[in-house]
Amino acid sequence: MVAGKKTKKTHESINNRLTLVMKSGKYTLGLKTVLQSLRNSKRKLIIISSNCPPLRKSKIEYYAMLAKVGVHHFVGNNNDLGTACGKYYRVSCLSIIGPGDSDIIKTLPGDH
Amino acid sequence: MVKFLKPNKAVILLQGRYAGRKAVIVRSFDEGTRDRPYGHCLVAGIKKYPSKVIRKDSAKKTAKKSRVKAFVKFVNFQHLMPTRYTLDVDLKDVVAVDSLQSKDKKVTAAKETKKRLEERFKTGKNRIANHGTVVGNLLCEIQV
Repeated sequence: MVAGKKTKKTHESINNRLTLVMKSGKYTLGLKTVLQSLRNSKRKLIIISSNCPPLRKSKIEYYAMLAKVGVHHFVGNNNDLGTACGKYYRVSCLSIIGPGDSDIIKTLPGDH
Repeated sequence: MVKFLKPNKAVILLQGRYAGRKAVIVRSFDEGTRDRPYGHCLVAGIKKYPSKVIRKDSAKKTAKKSRVKAFVKFVNFQHLMPTRYTLDVDLKDVVAVDSLQSKDKKVTAAKETKKRLEERFKTGKNRIANHGTVVGNLLCEIQV
């Protein structure tokens, strides 16, 4: 019970932080750009939705392991992640380049 | 946030004629150059892997089977899959940027690379624990 509540709470806080980043920080959406800036190591954090196809998910995780960047698995599928970003389309992977409000980067890798 | 596409990194080519082959990054151009306005790197890789040698083989056959054929190429970062392995074969003096300008320079660069890779492979073969070494892995085909 307590565990369920806790995840819900952190889930909502992730959403809040995402909207903050959308407004103030820098981010990119989509696999291609995620991989590109993983190579340039301009990433700070990566968020992957839950129904990202597993090959793609492990590819991103491997790159992130090489680049020593945190990966967060979003609780929810790409529809939800798109909505959390305030977009009207689906987003299955997104990456945060610049901290608008640097809250998200400090808290999320700890969660993960 | 560490940049990992550095020289001496082992890499797998994903596209092109050499798709599926393993290669080593010799030099990387992260910002790109004027001709290639994208991030790319110069890799030296294996065109033809050495084939399996059995105990029954004669010395001549062993020598023939342990041959490696190499290639040198510019590849876009997008068409590479980086691995966490590095290969400490010194290829920088052999393979330079201008060695891809003309065909015969390319051939000499490939031949030098082949020589270096082959000698690494052979010294790896004489060691007892061969399967753990990077060179052994690099020179084996990917088991799909």
